[in-house]
Amino acid sequence: MNFEQLLFYFFSTVLVAAAVMVITIRNPVKAALFLVLTFFTAACLWILLEAEFLAIALVLVYVGAVMVLFLFVVMMLDVNLVRLREGFAEYLPIGGIVAVLLVLEMAIILGPQRFGLGNFPEPAGHAADYSNTRELGRVLYTAYVYPFEIAAVILLVAIIAAIALALRRRKDSKYQDPRKQIRVEPAERLRIVKMPTEKRG
Amino acid sequence: MISLSHYLVLGAVLFALAVVGIFLNRKNVVILLMAIELMLLAVNINFLAFSHYRGDIAGQVFVFFILTVAAAEAAIGLAILVVLFRNRQTIDVEDLDILKG
Amino acid sequence: MTYPIPNLLPALPEIWVLGMACVILIVDLYAKPHRLVAYLLCQGTLVGAALLTLTGWSTGTETTFNNTFVHDRLSDLLKLTFYLIMFCVFAYSREYIRERGMYRAEYFVLGLFGLVGMMVMASANHLLTLYLGLELLSLCLYAMVAFQRDSSQATEAAMKYFVLGAVSSGMLLYGMSILYGLTGSLEIGVIKQTIAGAGSENVALTFGLVFIVVAIAFKFGIVPFHMWVPDVYHGAPTSVTVYVGTAPKVAAFALVMRLLVGGLEDLAVSWREMLVILSVLSMGLGNIVAIAQTNIKRMLAYSSVSHMGFFLLGVINATPNGYGSALFYVIVYAVMSLGAFGMVILLSRTGFEAERLDDFKGLNQRSPWYAMIMLLLMFSMAGVPPTVGFYAKLLVIQSVIQANMIWLAVIAVLFAVIGAYYYLRIVRLMYFEDAEDQSPIIAGTDMRVLLGINGLALLLIIPWVGVVIDLCGKAIQGLS
Repeated sequence: MNFEQLLFYFFSTVLVAAAVMVITIRNPVKAALFLVLTFFTAACLWILLEAEFLAIALVLVYVGAVMVLFLFVVMMLDVNLVRLREGFAEYLPIGGIVAVLLVLEMAIILGPQRFGLGNFPEPAGHAADYSNTRELGRVLYTAYVYPFEIAAVILLVAIIAAIALALRRRKDSKYQDPRKQIRVEPAERLRIVKMPTEKRG
Repeated sequence: MISLSHYLVLGAVLFALAVVGIFLNRKNVVILLMAIELMLLAVNINFLAFSHYRGDIAGQVFVFFILTVAAAEAAIGLAILVVLFRNRQTIDVEDLDILKG
Repeated sequence: MTYPIPNLLPALPEIWVLGMACVILIVDLYAKPHRLVAYLLCQGTLVGAALLTLTGWSTGTETTFNNTFVHDRLSDLLKLTFYLIMFCVFAYSREYIRERGMYRAEYFVLGLFGLVGMMVMASANHLLTLYLGLELLSLCLYAMVAFQRDSSQATEAAMKYFVLGAVSSGMLLYGMSILYGLTGSLEIGVIKQTIAGAGSENVALTFGLVFIVVAIAFKFGIVPFHMWVPDVYHGAPTSVTVYVGTAPKVAAFALVMRLLVGGLEDLAVSWREMLVILSVLSMGLGNIVAIAQTNIKRMLAYSSVSHMGFFLLGVINATPNGYGSALFYVIVYAVMSLGAFGMVILLSRTGFEAERLDDFKGLNQRSPWYAMIMLLLMFSMAGVPPTVGFYAKLLVIQSVIQANMIWLAVIAVLFAVIGAYYYLRIVRLMYFEDAEDQSPIIAGTDMRVLLGINGLALLLIIPWVGVVIDLCGKAIQGLS
């Protein structure tokens, strides 16, 4: 077993184990943390596949942003864990059997007979000055400029939708309005009251 | 050597776990959303493996866009979840039973 | 290295709608008191887009953006249908959302972005654009279903829609990844050539195909992947249901044409068998369960399930003739569904949703005009001659007979007869029962006029029905 195989099997084992934990563990916070592990390990595998840019993007975007969003929401919603734990165990054996059968069936089709090294040999390595990021950027802004624009629209929609759905203007929240602060006149704030002096009685 | 089918089977395992995870976690929407993320991860591994063994960068471009869309999807999904929780004080799918018939 | 700037002209309608959606978003910030502005701009956008599409009406096939975008007769016809439907959808929604405190510019903006998604799907020539268009549409729809934030029914529907929609997108992507791996390309034309060269006897290809067919069935709401349809139709605000139930069905047709027919037509032997099963199940379950419904939105949802089964009959034939009849069917269905949900909106008012079948009782006493419109809609949905719904059913059943599947045609006719029962039940309620509710029907002028045209069109189009069918047929022939 050479070094690359060792890495592949190590990462795959961690990846699958972490994924199993994500779907079986009951506590959403722990599940989110295992999902972080899953994504991180996947990123390592992607580096083996020479997709360096995407591997780093996965860590930045997923581990950095999406998972934090998940954790944030989980902690914000004060979830009743005890109730969510009910009735899980009875489905577990059936779920396990289904998973194993699914994998076996898919593996028969995706196995080495069709997708082995005979049909898809190990590709030749890239030249030393090859940059994955540069290549990706080159096609992204030329050949794939139209999908790129649509993706931008999708992100805009996500912003609009998330704000339209989740933003609540609370009546009791206090905030500053700089425009009003600047335009304030001394007369509005300060009132000089003239009073006649009173004599000591 | 590691062949293409190694990666494809790994993708299949993740995909199967995601499908089973969706059925098992019918009670907990947050973990349901995480299972969907796992499903997309499985697809991404497939695309990258094909891209690598075919020496074609289009697969990587596709993964780039899946990551973008998945992030947008997560944002909207969590926004709906927050709105749902405000209305119902629960994320238990079995409590979601107003709509029946 | 130089890269020529792609030809933007074919994509002009998309660019226009996208630009206007952003304009509405900004204008709304400054035009708070005159809120009609958002609505009028939105309708103006649709009219403008229709003009742009008509002036650029395609005579052949033209691709741009490095073959990711295609402009042909089919895409033009589909886009024109989208504008027409969306125009009515927004007109029907206006009063409804105002009364329920949802009248915000975001509502229209999300609707327009969803339209852009559908247009992208209609012109997709690449797996990537097909997927991105689909996601753009779906994300807008999820958000719009949840738009009534204080309604726990609407948010529940949105959550169910979101989860099932995301799973089906995952399935579609998995299928696409297998397709990419086997053909080495994401371009639909290249995929087709590669498959034609490699032959269709490939187990792995069929494996990928299964995922794609499942995902398509999810998006259409075809049995056994229809679970979301009744809940979403019922739970969503009716103004959103009328969106979800009409234009996206036509957009899903684009998915079928571009992916199954454009890319995988050589696998037709395999996907035909799958579609036959799905179609029979859909027609059967949809029509039978619809009878048991007491809520009109749920009834229309199951009716949509059965209609999609009928629609598949046209695709099963796998000839240009069959696709033409399927296209005609899906457009006619969208117009009927538009009118039916429009009626539900019409009878609703502040604090009251006309969701029960009983709310249609005695409609004839309250307003003979609207009762007649509803009568036409129901007759057309049931496929009673001489409405256009009859022609739609006739065409798809003819195409099945052409494919020598007489048994399937017999089953289809049988289920059409069963289905007629629950449509005619509404007609009976309207004409032969006394009204429980005598309040007058109030609606804006735009809605009254459009709903009237919508209903009458199902009958008055008959002299020109040949022209429309011809248009559908030509759009399909332009593909090959």
